[in-house]
Amino acid sequence: MSDREYKLIFTGSMGAGKTTAIAAVSEVAPVRTEMQNTDHAHHVKETTTTGLDYGVVTLPGGEVLRLFGTPGQVRFQFMWEILGKGALGVVVLADNSSEDPVGDVLEYARAFADVIDGSRAVVGVGRMDVHPVPTLEDYDAALRGIGVRVPVVSTDVRQREQVLTLLDILFYQIDAASEFSGAALQEVP
Amino acid sequence: MSGKEERVSRSEEAIILHHLDSLMVKEQEISGVLVSTGDGFRVASRLTGSLSAEKLSAMASSLIAINEAVCKESSLGACRDLVIEASQGRILLMDIPHPAQKLILTVLCRAKVTMGQVLWAARGCRESLGKLFVGS
Repeated sequence: MSDREYKLIFTGSMGAGKTTAIAAVSEVAPVRTEMQNTDHAHHVKETTTTGLDYGVVTLPGGEVLRLFGTPGQVRFQFMWEILGKGALGVVVLADNSSEDPVGDVLEYARAFADVIDGSRAVVGVGRMDVHPVPTLEDYDAALRGIGVRVPVVSTDVRQREQVLTLLDILFYQIDAASEFSGAALQEVP
Repeated sequence: MSGKEERVSRSEEAIILHHLDSLMVKEQEISGVLVSTGDGFRVASRLTGSLSAEKLSAMASSLIAINEAVCKESSLGACRDLVIEASQGRILLMDIPHPAQKLILTVLCRAKVTMGQVLWAARGCRESLGKLFVGS
């Protein structure tokens, strides 16, 4: 057990891959809180997370990352507020095949603005191989428009290495933000 | 957002409301009742004041989902009822048997309620609704 633990959030729209991403990297059996999805007009998937996802990853440097996934739908915004408390950074996942993925990302960036604080986030865009538009530049421009400057990368969250890459990028963002502000990384209370 | 899409027909909602009304008549210390889907949509409700059935439905979904995860993690078997004790009342959540989808019954009670009595009445309502859905 490392003495340095950090709480990170995975958020994004329904079907963006939050549960999959955490399950792909967690060293412990991930906690899932999936319920049968009855909103098939919105998304065809069979189940949806309504509580939280939870997993743990240890980085090569010994840092322990505690990963909390949020429900995607706005009606669970109260869970976003609960889970966001004490978090150091956010992975925002997007599904490029959805109706308005850039708008979705902006919504989560706004909802977690206090945690992100302008830079403590990374955006992972899925299904770009079959849906190349909007482009990563489109996401970047939209985020800059609301004062958020974070890396936006194409990803496949079914691949463990790609999720670890997202976490590496996020950890770098958090580290850089902490150095910039002159504060050391804070441990989870 | 299709959250307003009808989960049950109007006649089904009327029958559910009849059962909820009966529960409230039977137990005067029950201040509100709600039936919602497992994924957090309102099906039918009798709530007072400014309480949002839509928001409470989402919260009930999260609570039941986390409750089930805790039961599983603790190897304590299937999740049954969830009772929340508050300074001014209690909240009771339980599954309603349904052949096609998970439904949740949420019961709000005032502080002076006798818990066993309400639990008994709520389980009765749950069984009645369950028979209604299973038989439909």
